Amino acid sequence: MNKVCVIGVGHTDFNSMTPDMEWKEFMYEACQKAYVDAGIDPRKDVDSFITCAEDYYEGFGIFDEFVPDQIGATLRPCGTVCGDGIHGLGNAFMQIKTGLMDIVAIEAHSKVSDLLTFGDVVLFAFDPVFERPISGPVERPNFAGSPSYTKKAPKPLIGSSKETERIHPYFLAGLEMQHYLRKTGTTEEQCAKVVVKNKKNAFRNPYADYEARIRVEDVMESEYMFKPVKSLDIAPTVDGAVCIVLASHKKAKELGVDPIYLSGFGYCSETPWLSTRGMDAGYAKVAAKMAYKMAGIKKPRKEIDIVEVDDKFSYKELQHLESLGLARSGEAAELLEEGELDVKGSLPTNTSGGLLGVGNCLEATGLQKSLEIVTQLRGHAGKRQVPDCEVGLAQSWRGIPTGTGAVAIFTREGR
Amino acid sequence: MTFLEKQSDPTSFMHWRGDMQADYLYTNGVAGNRFFAHLKKKDTFLASRCPQCKKVFMPPRMFCEDCFCDIPDKAWIEVPARGTVRVWTVATINAHGKKLKEPKVIALIDIDKTDSAMLGIIKTKNPDKDLFGQKVKAVLRPKKKREGTLKDILYFE
Repeated sequence: MNKVCVIGVGHTDFNSMTPDMEWKEFMYEACQKAYVDAGIDPRKDVDSFITCAEDYYEGFGIFDEFVPDQIGATLRPCGTVCGDGIHGLGNAFMQIKTGLMDIVAIEAHSKVSDLLTFGDVVLFAFDPVFERPISGPVERPNFAGSPSYTKKAPKPLIGSSKETERIHPYFLAGLEMQHYLRKTGTTEEQCAKVVVKNKKNAFRNPYADYEARIRVEDVMESEYMFKPVKSLDIAPTVDGAVCIVLASHKKAKELGVDPIYLSGFGYCSETPWLSTRGMDAGYAKVAAKMAYKMAGIKKPRKEIDIVEVDDKFSYKELQHLESLGLARSGEAAELLEEGELDVKGSLPTNTSGGLLGVGNCLEATGLQKSLEIVTQLRGHAGKRQVPDCEVGLAQSWRGIPTGTGAVAIFTREGR
Repeated sequence: MTFLEKQSDPTSFMHWRGDMQADYLYTNGVAGNRFFAHLKKKDTFLASRCPQCKKVFMPPRMFCEDCFCDIPDKAWIEVPARGTVRVWTVATINAHGKKLKEPKVIALIDIDKTDSAMLGIIKTKNPDKDLFGQKVKAVLRPKKKREGTLKDILYFE
């Protein structure tokens, strides 16, 4: 069967906000860079285009309608995957495997600084009947014009309460982190060390925005927001766009590029019901199993040279490493303390700085992680280069309150 | 810049401001209607048990997510409105990232006689107390004031 390779990558700078560029210009920049990197003309060479976006994050209805022009896709096969960037990679992978498409471009981005009510939008992802009302009042402060409210009755007919504000949806991370610490014996200090490591790694990544020299004490002394989650345990949001161009092995040879292979991917979703969902990142475990099988990986800890895992919260890095089968339950913190997760360790983890160092880029997370793995496998990672890496894993989680994750395996040699 | 705090207020630059009018009427569904009709009159919860795997769902469902089979009417049971705290957190931040007026203790509570858990606000005088394994019961609105929504459950204590 067709082997699938990465032939081009492009990205914008990642910044806490991007007031100088609108989202289209921003996507254009990432895509143009990827097409130049691949040496192709999107108007002629790309057979299919995929973006990954979620309407409420973007602030548009039917976001896919707003996509084609800035990625070179007008009057071409183009679609949006409502999911993380790795879901987009997976779709592109399958399109190439069918033999119908030779070159597919995948774009994902975050322009979260445009979103003024991030917490409310995330609360909108909770079950509206059984879970969302827990966070606080159901009515919006600004009810003007809504048919379900009148001047006489500025509150909804049912569901009114005396509460005045909603709890931030990240309280779910507080619950899950407590479970993780209790189950594995990991400590808050050990999670703080993840923050210190990732923010330090970010210094060597030119596009990262949240690099910092901090000590474990700084994290420990930062304010409890959702105990045991402290403010520095949380990856701050960031704007950024990434584009990756995939091609069939044959096409890559024709173009004369030195490819990195996408050798496996996996994805899955747990039940959305918090009432019956597990708290151990089962989504990552199942997605990894699928990806390992596809890539022929039998002993992940031995065979994988570098990993980028989702660290939207500090404990998530450790939890995900364990779910991916790269550490035993409770072992990830030990590996961290022994330096094994450092750039020079035996399992370099989040060398890009992770989301704690780069910033939480929402649906672009998976592509940011993939970008780092591809950069490392190409040997282009500069001062953070991991020597002799042949096999890399990128993993993403769609964030609070989802139970959805995806995994991609990249290799230097085709499998 | 290597600062932990960064400028994140884009409104200080030229922009166009918009909002989304997005109001919905969410149907409770067959199982939800039964659950809330029951909650309006009784001080217990309704749950449903899968006929194949015997898993008890609370809130109740019409189908089992594991076996993918119907849950018949006769498999519905009444369970006490109480449970055990599995995990808890003290939330101090509101949806807009500002301090809550007062911290809220919020827990995932394993509901007795079910295989399900429920989010609940815990009313406690000491928010720093370890609540792991604590038995709590739901405090509901007075029956006359109940309207058949989740807001009928005021808190757990």
